[in-house]
Amino acid sequence: MLSTETLYLLYLSTGFTVGFGHCIGMCGPIVVTFSLNLKEKNIFVPQLFYHLGRITTYALLGGIVAAVGSFTIVAANIESVQKGVMIFAGALIILMGLAMGGWLPLGRVFGDHSNAGGWITTSFNKLLKVNSTFVYLPLGLLLGLLPCGPVYTALIGAARTGMEANTLYQSVFAGMGLMAAFGIGTVPALFLVAKLVDMGWLKSRNFIYRFGAVFMIIVGIIFIVRAIRF
Amino acid sequence: MKHLVNIFTVVLLTAILLATPGQISAGDKFQELINCNLHAGPCTQLLSEQTVILEVSPRPVKAMRDLAFKVKLNEKLPPNTTLPYIDLGMPGMNMGPNRVQLKFTGKATYEGRGVIVKCPSGRRTWRATITIPDVGHADFIFDVIY
Repeated sequence: MLSTETLYLLYLSTGFTVGFGHCIGMCGPIVVTFSLNLKEKNIFVPQLFYHLGRITTYALLGGIVAAVGSFTIVAANIESVQKGVMIFAGALIILMGLAMGGWLPLGRVFGDHSNAGGWITTSFNKLLKVNSTFVYLPLGLLLGLLPCGPVYTALIGAARTGMEANTLYQSVFAGMGLMAAFGIGTVPALFLVAKLVDMGWLKSRNFIYRFGAVFMIIVGIIFIVRAIRF
Repeated sequence: MKHLVNIFTVVLLTAILLATPGQISAGDKFQELINCNLHAGPCTQLLSEQTVILEVSPRPVKAMRDLAFKVKLNEKLPPNTTLPYIDLGMPGMNMGPNRVQLKFTGKATYEGRGVIVKCPSGRRTWRATITIPDVGHADFIFDVIY
């Protein structure tokens, strides 16, 4: 059996390699969407909140599977929730794309309020009444539930580690720690993608902005189709 | 310069879009790699002078289920040899390390338990790589039911 330190390092490096090899395809469109949507605003804090939320969800799932000692039991119980989250993510991305392209009277709900004025925006902002940056934390918490192969694989390992622990407390702590390490490992790849799109001199181009809106709508549709097939 | 910037961004966004696993019709190209039907029964491959038989149960083989993996060799490995193991993955996609540790259960047979996870892309082609230390590895590529 590997030492705890080695396991943490293994999960961190797995997250890092999977991040560049897989997450860019799956979660990349989400961070790109957020980045495009924020336009002139600094993306660092919103992205940080998003990843913090996502990692927290991974850690919670890790703690649960480790405590239960079975990945399949937990996965069976959250499958319908995950499907719902995937549909929500797709719908949200489409909505943001439509709004960013100026095809909905929505303005940019998350972040830049300069286009606020549409009736939906006004209502939505009244509803939120929070600093838009913090919206990315609950978004991350929710989107951390998105179905994802490598996350499942990491959870299988977390469940095994939990079963080998001596006490329930140790199981939960190990599961949470390992999944947190995995999540942290995935951040650099996603942050790099978000940063590439965030380059101010790119985002100032209207053409790029319009192309980005179409990109978001296509990604949103793909998410919904996948969710229906899932 | 302005055009170059636009082209760069369009290429970047398009690349991300194409990289999105499960673009609606993705995955079929990997089905031609399938060399084993585990739903029907055990599969056999030759590895050096060893015959490697892989059996997964219960059948049909479904993702997100606890599965029993049985590896049978034509002859028992020498004592003190590292045990064989199975790495589960998808051709063309990094799903993270998913190893099934096998235990010797007698008569050149090794067994372990594992889970094949579900890929939201909808791709169902999976690969089980059986590694026999100091001998080599055999790839079994098969279809999984989601």
